[in-house]
Amino acid sequence: MADKEKLVIMATHGPDDPEMATVPFVMAAAALASDVAVVMGFQGEGVRLVHAGEAETVQAPEFPPLAKLLNDVRELGGLLLVCSPCAKSRGFVDSLVPGAEIVAGARFVAEVTSATSSLVY
Amino acid sequence: MTTMTAPVSDAELGAIQAAKIVDARGSACPGPLLEAKKAMNTIQIGQTIEIWSSDPGTKGDVSAWSAKVGHTYLGTVPGEGYERTFVVRQK
Repeated sequence: MADKEKLVIMATHGPDDPEMATVPFVMAAAALASDVAVVMGFQGEGVRLVHAGEAETVQAPEFPPLAKLLNDVRELGGLLLVCSPCAKSRGFVDSLVPGAEIVAGARFVAEVTSATSSLVY
Repeated sequence: MTTMTAPVSDAELGAIQAAKIVDARGSACPGPLLEAKKAMNTIQIGQTIEIWSSDPGTKGDVSAWSAKVGHTYLGTVPGEGYERTFVVRQK
């Protein structure tokens, strides 16, 4: 039996761009619903999306609230990986949402190179 | 138990008594799909769910999802200000 497909989604936009902050979560939720494993990576301003309390501030027109999508992705088993220096520089190391894991570059490389496909937003 | 497979006429679709109706009207993408996935786990293999959605992307989304995960998309018919999409659980 073939290994499960895996999609890596890198999110680099923060709450100041609600649409581009939300689309990665839409794709992640759709993939998870389609039995595709999902690893979400947060870099740059994207780390704000998994900083506790910030998802609740994001609502792009015609999209579900980001907080709901974040919850959906977590419930469906999506993995949330956060760029270490990006989190440190913003003082978020101890205030990420539950389940978010701080990692360094090599982990992202390992996830991307072992994925079926990857998307960068 | 539903035994229909695609293609199914609009008249046949409209006459289906689904095992579960998912009312996702007002829910934005990917909400209807996520609600359909949850509902699929509550019915038996061979039974049908009917998804009500006002999102114009749902028809194509559910059709693609069904093909991807192995369910049978029967089709979509218009409702009163929304669309009714039918899928048979296959696994």
